[in-house]
Amino acid sequence: MSMKLLTSEHIDYIIKDLNYRGIFAETIQDELIDHICSSVENEMTHGKKFIDAYHGVLKSFGHTGGLRETQKKVIQSENAKSRNMLKNYFTIALRNLRKHSFYTFINVAGLSVGLAICFIIILFVINEISYDKHFENADRIYRTKSEIKFGGNHYNMLYAPPILASTLATEFPEVEAAIRFRERGSYLVKRNIDNIKEDNVIWTDKDFFKVFSMPVIAGNAETALAEPNTIAISEKIADKYFPNENALGQTLILDNNMNMKITAIYKTLPPNTHFHFDILISLEGLEEAKRPVWYSNNFQTYILLSPGADATRLETKFSELVVTHAMPQLAEVLGGDFTMEKFIAAGNKMEYTLQPLADIHLKSSLQGEFEPGFDIVYIYLFVAVAFFILMIACINFMNLSTARSANRAKEVGIRKVMGSFRSHLMRQFLTESILLTFASIILALGIAYLLLPFFNQLSLRTLSIPFNQPMLYAIITAAALGVGVLAGIYPSFFLSAFKPVNVLKGNVSLGMKSGFIRSALVVFQFTISISLVIGTLAVNRQLNYIQSKKLGFNKDQVIVIEDVYALGTNRIPFKEEIMRSGKMENATMTGFLPVSGTWRNDNPWWVEGRDPAIQENMVSIQNWRIDYDYIKTMGMSIKEGRDFSRDFPSDSSAVIINEAALKSFHFDGEAIGSKIQSFGDGPNGEPDKDHPISLTVVGIAENFHFESLKQNVSPLMMELSKRPEGPISFRFQSQNSKEIIQLIETKWKEMAPGQPFNYYFLDERFGTMYASETRLGKIFGIFSMIAIVIACLGLFALTSFTAEQRMKEIGIRKVLGASISSIVMLLSKELGKLVLIAFVLAVPLAWFGIDWWLKDYTYKTQIGVGLYLIAGAAAFLIAWATMSFQSFKAASNDPVKSLRSE
Amino acid sequence: MMHSSELLKGTLQTILLKVLKDNGRMYGYELTQRVKDLSDARILLTEGALYPTLHKLEAEGMLKTEVVTIGKRVRKYYSLTAEGKSLVKERVAEFIEFINTMGNVLQIPQPAISGTPFPGEKKG
Repeated sequence: MSMKLLTSEHIDYIIKDLNYRGIFAETIQDELIDHICSSVENEMTHGKKFIDAYHGVLKSFGHTGGLRETQKKVIQSENAKSRNMLKNYFTIALRNLRKHSFYTFINVAGLSVGLAICFIIILFVINEISYDKHFENADRIYRTKSEIKFGGNHYNMLYAPPILASTLATEFPEVEAAIRFRERGSYLVKRNIDNIKEDNVIWTDKDFFKVFSMPVIAGNAETALAEPNTIAISEKIADKYFPNENALGQTLILDNNMNMKITAIYKTLPPNTHFHFDILISLEGLEEAKRPVWYSNNFQTYILLSPGADATRLETKFSELVVTHAMPQLAEVLGGDFTMEKFIAAGNKMEYTLQPLADIHLKSSLQGEFEPGFDIVYIYLFVAVAFFILMIACINFMNLSTARSANRAKEVGIRKVMGSFRSHLMRQFLTESILLTFASIILALGIAYLLLPFFNQLSLRTLSIPFNQPMLYAIITAAALGVGVLAGIYPSFFLSAFKPVNVLKGNVSLGMKSGFIRSALVVFQFTISISLVIGTLAVNRQLNYIQSKKLGFNKDQVIVIEDVYALGTNRIPFKEEIMRSGKMENATMTGFLPVSGTWRNDNPWWVEGRDPAIQENMVSIQNWRIDYDYIKTMGMSIKEGRDFSRDFPSDSSAVIINEAALKSFHFDGEAIGSKIQSFGDGPNGEPDKDHPISLTVVGIAENFHFESLKQNVSPLMMELSKRPEGPISFRFQSQNSKEIIQLIETKWKEMAPGQPFNYYFLDERFGTMYASETRLGKIFGIFSMIAIVIACLGLFALTSFTAEQRMKEIGIRKVLGASISSIVMLLSKELGKLVLIAFVLAVPLAWFGIDWWLKDYTYKTQIGVGLYLIAGAAAFLIAWATMSFQSFKAASNDPVKSLRSE
Repeated sequence: MMHSSELLKGTLQTILLKVLKDNGRMYGYELTQRVKDLSDARILLTEGALYPTLHKLEAEGMLKTEVVTIGKRVRKYYSLTAEGKSLVKERVAEFIEFINTMGNVLQIPQPAISGTPFPGEKKG
């Protein structure tokens, strides 16, 4: 059979005719054409004319009906096998994605960034909820909380009396072990000559390792801390002081005077622990720990319950414990007519409760925490934000799919005519979205890997992607399927629902017109993004407000030298030597500084002559011990009366109170000259009612903030310290802080050789009070930026799609004289409206959010209308810029080109 | 005389597989012509039955295809895969079995075909 009989025109005719008769399916089209051509040629060799031969062949196929039937059967027989079907879905999906690479890019970019953020947040959340779970008996470990209301004070704290732990262990069989911690700040540690400052040092009981099971590398955990002057150290410390040596049995010297024998070396605590002690000192050597008293609270107490014991049941027995043990002691100390009934009737309280170990990191922020935890509310917030960002990315996918439905409607129609079931089509569309998601997830992993170091820096964590865990791959697969279905389900329903008759006739509502749901989704995207932007702006404004608020003291140009005790008797000479340099304005030596984390001392005081037994007379007040130069150095101002002065010998019993204290005391007459009183100290340090101390008010200081601005300024009094101690603060004039540091350091090395030189600037320390807020602000800033970028990506694609759809309309408008700007306007109007609606919805949402966040702050900035408008304008501008880029491109097209096609 | 399509229904796959086995690679039209020749025009394959069957066998992995472009026309050749080759033996043997059974059922004195599965082929 020769093929020469058929001319190229004949073949074209056949192809066109078959097309006209509805033979489209790629799998069969070519084959049928070849078959018919061969048949026709065969007929023609027998002398028939082309057209007769062709019609003869068509007849043998059964004309159009037969041809279509054949095509349909072929498609169905191919579809019969699911493996093959899957391959088919896959091939077509790939082809489609490649064909529309612009939309694929937008989708993949948005989804992968969204997924990367989700990924990081999931890692973060998993890390946060894993805290302390690594201890073997984690579910049986509890710690005590104390609520004490007495003498004008109200404490919610972790500090408990020294006697509590041993009482619990002996009185209650369900308590297997009880231990205490006592913080005494940082220590200077040395092996031979040079001191290093160690922060993570704690005193604890010998049962520490019984409660907190952890791998002990050397030494016997059971007997390790049984003797006084023994310590257990972490592997980190062992490697630091005894590199390549056995540290066990060796000695470290703490604070130049305590020789401590190392009795155990334990594995350094993992980051997800609520404490990171590196040196444990045996409490056996601390006198304070042996006092059997209930009125002093300094010890954090942890217990290990025996298996099966009920913590809530145990807790109910604690009130009995207070009655039988603590109350008799209080009666003895306070003397007179103290009774339990009177104690309670006066509104006092002494209550111990239990807190499970699992709650410590996320649900606890009490006085006496070892390290700041993380608020579980922010966990919820993070998860919500991650979810929203993912939603925004998924919506891009949905919107682009449905918008492009115009182009795919015909495909759907023909597939259906050819015998595709709706389920086939849905599977086809789902395959596309799952494939896309899978690619995005792989990319997301890469992005997350690159972003993690940055996130770690912000969140102060050490997260990493667990590439070696099979779980990761299971999760990735599950996520690809989950997100793929989430993003693909709506388009697949939407597209597969087309009725072939309508689609092929061309009268299904398509593209932008069918977009109610699409519009709603765009509004949703922008509502979330704009809310986040407003929130970020608000957080930053509050932070700025705090940093620039008038504090009542001058935090700038003050350097604080720590660990001054290492100077021994050289403390005062050191201070004076530096003053002599002439670079300093003032200097003061005290640990009571107006930034949190420095010394605090809270006592009840009352106005002389009033009865301290009456609750209302007592004022719980911060009692600071300072020196003559303190107020000048810190830049505080005296509102009434005077500062302490060396000219008044009587100032040893004088006091300066702040405005808040003035208010609380309700002095009968003039405050200046009035006397205030408090309990003296008994021989054992217990409050002595019979020998009160008395101080005369000589000055009233303007209120200054000494804690976070989340709190009100509370009553405060300052008296001259009998024995000045603590860090030395210098106020300097020079703008050159390096020069100042150098000056002090040189002097330090001269007067305290071998001792570490530690210092900080007061304003920096002040900044760390808001470090978590600053971090939060940054993290949310990033989140909101990402959200809006992804939303804009979607907008970008939608605009370009609209422009494509309306290409002819634009061409005609231009021919008729429309300007470019009017066309840009036309194209952006519809989507612009949606952004505007989103803004209107975002405002109340953001308002609630900001209001909720600011409620913790006593001093809050005014969030005016301006901020909302700025955020709205910014979002609108970004959206508009995105849109006009595309619409401008479309509008500046040459109409000849757009009109010529088709 | 043409055989009724009712009779041919179950044998189409067998015919296609065997013809492909004997002739190597073939395209659709060629197959119909070959079967027509072999059967003295008593068996005429309809396109409506041929192509769905070919595609089904291809989908099942019995046939492989190769596409040759000739000018504007694209020709698709079919040939047996290894799997397809073993299927041919099976199908032909099955068919002979069937005819013998039918001979017994219909009381035809002589068996229509000898028991050798592949007449004219040397048994290895």
